[in-house]
Amino acid sequence: MKIVQINKENWADGLKQLCKTYRLFGPVKEDDFHNFKELEQGQLPDLSCLNTRLSPKSIIYPQTEVMFEYSLDENQEDHHILKEVNNDYPSQAIIGMRPCDAKAFALVRLNFDTPDYKDPYWLKAYEATTLVGQACESPCSSCFCTTAGCGPYHEEELDLLLIDSGDQYRAKVITDKGEAFLEAAGWTRTLDEKTALKEIEAQKRAAEDKICATVNTDKLREIETNALYNAPFWEEVSFSCINCGTCTYVCPTCWCFDIQDENYGNSGCRMRNWDSCMYPLFTAHGSGHNPRDTKLHRVRQRFMHKLKYYVDKYDTGIQCVGCGRCVRLCPVNIDIRRVCELMNSQAAKKN
Amino acid sequence: MLSYIDKIKEISTGLLKEGRVEMIIGFRKGTVPMMNEPHFAKSPAEVENFVWDSNCGINLCNYLTNRREKIGILAKGCDSRNIVTHIIENKIKRDQLVIIGVPCKGMLDKRKISAMFEAEIGEVIEDETNITVKGDGFEKTLNKKEVLQQNCSVCIHRNPVIHDELVGDPVEEQTDVDRYTDVREIEALPPEEKTKYFEKLLQPCIRCYACRNACPLCYCPTCFTDESRPQWVAKGQDPTDVSTFHFLRAYHCAGRCTDCGACERSCPVGINMRVFTKKLEKDCLELFDWEAGLDPNVRPPLDTYRPSDPDEFIK
Amino acid sequence: MGIESDRLQFSWVSSAEATKFVKVVTEVTKAIQALGPNKNLVKTIPKVA
Repeated sequence: MKIVQINKENWADGLKQLCKTYRLFGPVKEDDFHNFKELEQGQLPDLSCLNTRLSPKSIIYPQTEVMFEYSLDENQEDHHILKEVNNDYPSQAIIGMRPCDAKAFALVRLNFDTPDYKDPYWLKAYEATTLVGQACESPCSSCFCTTAGCGPYHEEELDLLLIDSGDQYRAKVITDKGEAFLEAAGWTRTLDEKTALKEIEAQKRAAEDKICATVNTDKLREIETNALYNAPFWEEVSFSCINCGTCTYVCPTCWCFDIQDENYGNSGCRMRNWDSCMYPLFTAHGSGHNPRDTKLHRVRQRFMHKLKYYVDKYDTGIQCVGCGRCVRLCPVNIDIRRVCELMNSQAAKKN
Repeated sequence: MLSYIDKIKEISTGLLKEGRVEMIIGFRKGTVPMMNEPHFAKSPAEVENFVWDSNCGINLCNYLTNRREKIGILAKGCDSRNIVTHIIENKIKRDQLVIIGVPCKGMLDKRKISAMFEAEIGEVIEDETNITVKGDGFEKTLNKKEVLQQNCSVCIHRNPVIHDELVGDPVEEQTDVDRYTDVREIEALPPEEKTKYFEKLLQPCIRCYACRNACPLCYCPTCFTDESRPQWVAKGQDPTDVSTFHFLRAYHCAGRCTDCGACERSCPVGINMRVFTKKLEKDCLELFDWEAGLDPNVRPPLDTYRPSDPDEFIK
Repeated sequence: MGIESDRLQFSWVSSAEATKFVKVVTEVTKAIQALGPNKNLVKTIPKVA
């Protein structure tokens, strides 16, 4: 396990070098909050941000993505031919993402990279991306990553983990991609593994101790689906929901989309946009029937998907990494931690 | 104002016990600072969960549309005007409601307060005049008046215009506020500057529709943005579509918006889209001498034709 | 909304007012042509990142 030392005074230079071979993305402050943006020449990612408002999922999975275009103009040589839009993803790196957002890619990948079907758009972007994480020293009060299968120093899906140690970053190399990233930046000075690891471990424990929000998920697997589905608390949970798409759009593990064609006279394109299961039309059928036409149906579905169906299907834990964005941003303060408790303790009541 | 909660609980319990209503819509304490969650009580025991403080900015009237039960609802000045509009538009019947009026001196602007501090806010404690904001390593006291939501700071209808019960004495209405300073500033810009201003304003929009869904006026079974045959506005992130959504939604609220601020409050990316509805509100005031939701017996001007309707713009 | 005020014009013209119709159409067309093609809120193909 290689640990490389990056002196903070060498940080900007390293990024300059990286610009030559990677498109760099990092947290940038806009108005009152941070978001991941492509870094311009010489622009530094703001690593002091606790977490970005929107997750970095849009770097690999854009909110609106044109899949292919076509022209119906018979004067054009390539008329009536579907042309793939040039979506060549040059090497890119996301710097300063939190371990929760990184783990989210692992959860989402189970959906986009299956033995039967692979989403070419998502995978191409994903494979071109190096994920450079930043460990959390001061988790927010709404973060509950440690009980959501993750943690402030969690390494899943990351190629590199940067740990802030005062005047330097200790970069823990996790994959070859991470190693290549460090080399391209010219950051090659390694530290003594044993000492560095010990210090990192101590920092990690201190950070984990700071997490005060927790969820209990131990009973979710064993409880019978219908017992949860028919539980009496859904009316009270779903009452305040306004069925906007905020939770789904800020969530790093949500993946639903809608494909649509847009036509402009003689030409057009096929694109996909993020879609939200919270919208009433999400499950509207061509026949006119809508199996989830009430708010309760949709809210229940969302929590069941995150905390039950995903658990049952993939057996890797809940489809949530505890980033806390939905908790902070829900306009009516519906709290997934509260709902998880209700669901987990419903199990206890059953038998 | 903080003592209102006792009266709220007393009235609510009474209403439920007497069977005058089947449910009361109010707020319960939120799980994050400066937030309360809309909550309903169907029994006196559940009434105990109710809270009332300066974090009750959400418009509860949003939850009334198309309900069939007898409902008791907590309504501030702006909310009560939305109830009037709902009655006029036949979305709820007057006799279904027991309106528990709450005079209001303004709700806190959570975003403004959070932006004042680098670190995360842990707790906000409130008294009649001030709030104390506490976090890791800091504590600061602020005067509530300075951190109110923008719509509250220029509010001229703080007392409910319609109510069956009132939880406190009416508060003094503000009379010397200019509601439209920001609108006038934008009106004064040349067209290209206006375009740039709106582009910048709407650039962070993620089309989550929180603004639309939080708005009590937006109750169309299928919103124009969701229509596909014909598709009036596309669903992607193209700036033209994003602008169209916001402009058109504002137009649909023209003459109906009470400036409750629920839209701005709910926006996850902090867009001040009230400039659109306020512009239309100003136009309605100037062209028709109209303010939405004041009298359930008067039809709105955009609903009726009068020969005296302004027409100088027609050549 | 950022659209020049001369681009959108209203006029009452009765079907019996042919001369007025010609006048209005000519004037409005001239005014809009002077402004040039509208670039605001026009979409041909989605402009997305």
